[in-house]
Amino acid sequence: NDSGSGTRKRKSRWADDEPKLPTIQLPDFMKDFTGGIEFDPEIQALNARLLEISRMLQSGLPLDDRPEGARSPSPEPIYDNMGIRINTREYRARERLNKERQDIITQIIKRNPAFKPPADYRPPKLQK
Amino acid sequence: QKLMYQPGALATKVVCLTQVVSEDELKDDGEYEDILEDMRQEGGKFGNLVNVVIPRPGPDGQPAPGVGKVFLEYVDVDGAAKARTGLNGRKFGGNIVQAVFYPENKFAQGDYEA
Repeated sequence: NDSGSGTRKRKSRWADDEPKLPTIQLPDFMKDFTGGIEFDPEIQALNARLLEISRMLQSGLPLDDRPEGARSPSPEPIYDNMGIRINTREYRARERLNKERQDIITQIIKRNPAFKPPADYRPPKLQK
Repeated sequence: QKLMYQPGALATKVVCLTQVVSEDELKDDGEYEDILEDMRQEGGKFGNLVNVVIPRPGPDGQPAPGVGKVFLEYVDVDGAAKARTGLNGRKFGGNIVQAVFYPENKFAQGDYEA
């Protein structure tokens, strides 16, 4: 960063990367079914994060863009039988996001049993 | 099979954002710098930016070609493609941005009106 102290904190004119899909307003009679649950701020936060993760996973952009110095040490490499490394940084970042995504869906379902999870959602195993 | 030619559909290294900024905003040096910085920051998230061009109106306010557009030039088509997808439909200062590819030759010639 340049000089620092004098730089005023400026807000970017770019709006946050909000969901481009317009939120669908349910007709009034539908609200009885859901109990207005999707207006629960916690659910909204979870939904927002879910969308964000889905977008990150689909964007094809590097998922782990932390600079060299800011990363923790990598785990021991694991190779497949072709000798290609499996647990690359990118792979681990993707796994992490997938895991978070599954957890969020689990939480949403807990709050709203009527929520229809995406097709690739796997409910968590019951045993610990 | 139908061959479609749509301006902005052919992938290039240059992304043109339309309906982004107003002439008034560009007249002010401070705002112009701010916008430039916003573009560099946001555009840099998609790939390596080579150049950012924001055409400005003349000093007496006479209209200049390409005013209102913002051009982001990337090192490669890949970065430009990501930026086009990522920025299209986003809001910038209340305007909904449209992102299209821009012909590289025209951009190189300083022709901002295609």
